[in-house]
Amino acid sequence: MKYGADPTTDRLPLDAETRKPLQPRVQPGYYPDYDVISQQRFWDAATRELVLKRLNPAPPLRFFTPEEAKLMQVVCDHLLPQDDREPGHRIEIVPSIDERLFAKKGPGYRYEDMPPDDEAYRLFLQALDLMAPANYGRPFLELTWREQEEILQALNKSRPPDGAGEIWKRLSLPKVWTLLVGDCITAYYQHPWSWSEIGFGGPAYPRAYMRLERGQPEPWEVDEQRYSWEAPPDTLSDLDESSHHDHYPHLTHGGIHD
Amino acid sequence: MSKPSGNLIGSPVDGAFQPADQGRHHLGPMQKISPAIRRFAPGEEVDYLIVGVGSAGGVLLQRLARAGFRVIGLEAGPFWDTEKDWYSDEIGAQRLYWQDLRITGGTDPLALGANNSGKGVGGGSVHWAAFTPRLHPSDFRVHSLDGVAVDWPMRYEDLKPYYELLELEMPVSGPAWFPWGDPHGYAYGPHPLGEVGNVLVRGCTRLGIRVCAGGPVAINAGSHDDRPHCIYRGFCIQGCKVGAKASTLITHVPDALRSGAEIRDYSMASRIALGPNNRVDGVFYFDRDGREQFQKARAVIVCGYAIETPRLLLNSACPEYPMGLANSSDTVGRYLMAQAGNVILGRFPGLVRMYKAPPAHALTEEFYETDPKRDFARGFAIQTVGPLPIAFGKQIMAAMGAWGWGLRRVMMDYNHWCALALLGEILPWHSNRVTLAKERDQFGIPVAYAHFNLYDNDKKMIKFGREKVMEVMSAAGAEQVVQEQRYAHLVGAARMGSDPATSVVDKFGRTHDIANLFICDGSVMPTQGSANPGLTIQALAARTADYLITQGENVFRSDHRDLTEPTPRVELSPPGTFRKGIPRPGTGWIFRRRALQAKA
Repeated sequence: MKYGADPTTDRLPLDAETRKPLQPRVQPGYYPDYDVISQQRFWDAATRELVLKRLNPAPPLRFFTPEEAKLMQVVCDHLLPQDDREPGHRIEIVPSIDERLFAKKGPGYRYEDMPPDDEAYRLFLQALDLMAPANYGRPFLELTWREQEEILQALNKSRPPDGAGEIWKRLSLPKVWTLLVGDCITAYYQHPWSWSEIGFGGPAYPRAYMRLERGQPEPWEVDEQRYSWEAPPDTLSDLDESSHHDHYPHLTHGGIHD
Repeated sequence: MSKPSGNLIGSPVDGAFQPADQGRHHLGPMQKISPAIRRFAPGEEVDYLIVGVGSAGGVLLQRLARAGFRVIGLEAGPFWDTEKDWYSDEIGAQRLYWQDLRITGGTDPLALGANNSGKGVGGGSVHWAAFTPRLHPSDFRVHSLDGVAVDWPMRYEDLKPYYELLELEMPVSGPAWFPWGDPHGYAYGPHPLGEVGNVLVRGCTRLGIRVCAGGPVAINAGSHDDRPHCIYRGFCIQGCKVGAKASTLITHVPDALRSGAEIRDYSMASRIALGPNNRVDGVFYFDRDGREQFQKARAVIVCGYAIETPRLLLNSACPEYPMGLANSSDTVGRYLMAQAGNVILGRFPGLVRMYKAPPAHALTEEFYETDPKRDFARGFAIQTVGPLPIAFGKQIMAAMGAWGWGLRRVMMDYNHWCALALLGEILPWHSNRVTLAKERDQFGIPVAYAHFNLYDNDKKMIKFGREKVMEVMSAAGAEQVVQEQRYAHLVGAARMGSDPATSVVDKFGRTHDIANLFICDGSVMPTQGSANPGLTIQALAARTADYLITQGENVFRSDHRDLTEPTPRVELSPPGTFRKGIPRPGTGWIFRRRALQAKA
């Protein structure tokens, strides 16, 4: 198959048996009849207000320039692809990152070999626009989907393509990678649509959970209905052999322990 | 806050059972309190000024107020209303953490913020998972026993009565018999198991490793008075709206306020002032409007935890103490410790749903002590954790290099994954330290720089420990096991010791340099064991409070240091906590200690 021939189809996951594209759904995942938002009247008032705000349209961007925003959107479509979702049911990633960077909200620390987050984002985008011409002769946005994936896959493995060596001196590549992917994860998995997708119970105060063992569902949760799928033909981001071993000691992140 | 809807069968009550009145704060659904019961007049001198109302500060404030001292707690963050300010949500919880800038570096830099630092009344006890194992007796003598690190200037037996007291005051739920360290039982019943606990018990049992389920954890399994029981919603480290998990905000602060203490929230301490006669006389701080204020006090206790405590002392440098207050030994900021906190993730063929049940509910300390058959000193524990979706996503990003479709694929299997954590003892090292960075915070105060390296013993422990946890996960039936290296907790950086040349404070937290300046928080710990530090920090605070109360006016007037152990004052426990619960084997030391001391 020639990659990039049919961008709409090549970017859809495939049915593992028929090898035909899976049509986009309102809610992908193995809990098709589960809707966590339907439980909102069992949530406390403060949590309900906070969570339901995420269903509102995103406010205009204030940090990224229009050019940066275009590039960010493409990057986020690679890092957290949503082609299996119907267009009206995709979760906005860039506005959430934009809001954090505009407000200069940090996690409470900065690595000594990293600039502040806003600067790190700008440098990363510049690096993409240096690596793409150096290796493919065109700007990042004019590369094929597959070529863009090649650059990002190399960055994930901390083996950057030529062209941005000066930037990696000012910016730790594994740390900016986890910053970016981590922010995408935060934006996507804070949204109640993603909770329904993965079968997460969501807020449970004051009602409580009562079936704690063996992964049993609450009466209002549902059982899993699995289907087998393959990643889209033009992606390089699916799990491979190295994901199953300890091949990523260079990646680390902040987050929560206890 | 909206009212409950009429149909109470279809929709349970809307959080709190009754709305709080104007000016009153909910502390859990049942307790309501006005934070402003007492306000000292501007310019009024108090006996004790406590900087930081967290795990230690909350207990000290309560004890000293109950004993009749005039006491103020300065807290950089807010006085919470748990119904309005807290959420069952990973993002909504971010304000519970210290989010102001710090710089982190070294060969193995520590993530700070959400990982280990609280802000607001209750401090870290608001977002801890609430595992409450005690240190082992051996922890106080690691240099004598193993030739590493340093001995504590006190014994396990000196802290034991306070472990017992705090286990009742929180209270701690746990098994009737806990077999490690100093074996003992818990007065309040354990929690039912979630599936993560089942995995740990199954894996350990198949490998012949003893394991303990249902605690010890400072979360109510049953309701007591105005403290409701756990509802197993899994958002422990996002702040317990339920009121079942102990934080000093709900266990000690209410009694402190009713006993006459004042808590000044949104008050960021910037500098401790040294007055005449080598004594401190108060603290400069920025109030909620960003104005600098000065509070006079006859004694100051710093309870800012392992980053902010050394930062404040270093920022309080003056002509008499150019290297930082109480830092004539150049030890302030040094011997900073974190515990190894590798997260081991296993995918199971069946469903787990690890978001249910408290993250903290089963553990083994079978590998805690030094084992001559291993190639490193000291050891580790294995504990349950329960990452929610965002935390889990970041873990697989790091553990598997997951991104794009691989990330989406693993996340769709969230309910099949189970997480266990290593909790390993990293030793105190001279070069692991907190200093001041060139950057400044929003008040213009220089921020902390934390430098952290792992050394040979630490690396060997982590390697052995993570392989053991992976073995347990596989034995439990996981078909795929991955792991991510990380750290948990922070202690050290103002350690206690007998020698003023190599430590900052004595065994009661009094600085060697200045007779009316004290430190009481995790930073005084010389070593850390493989136990979560929260219980030990609160027990140390209760002991320091008894010491201060016993010393009375001497603290304010004399430079003489009396190092006699105090008598445990059970009458200072918050009402309705002491002598409650079921007495268990291995407990009752408080009575023995009191009887012995009465006889002497």
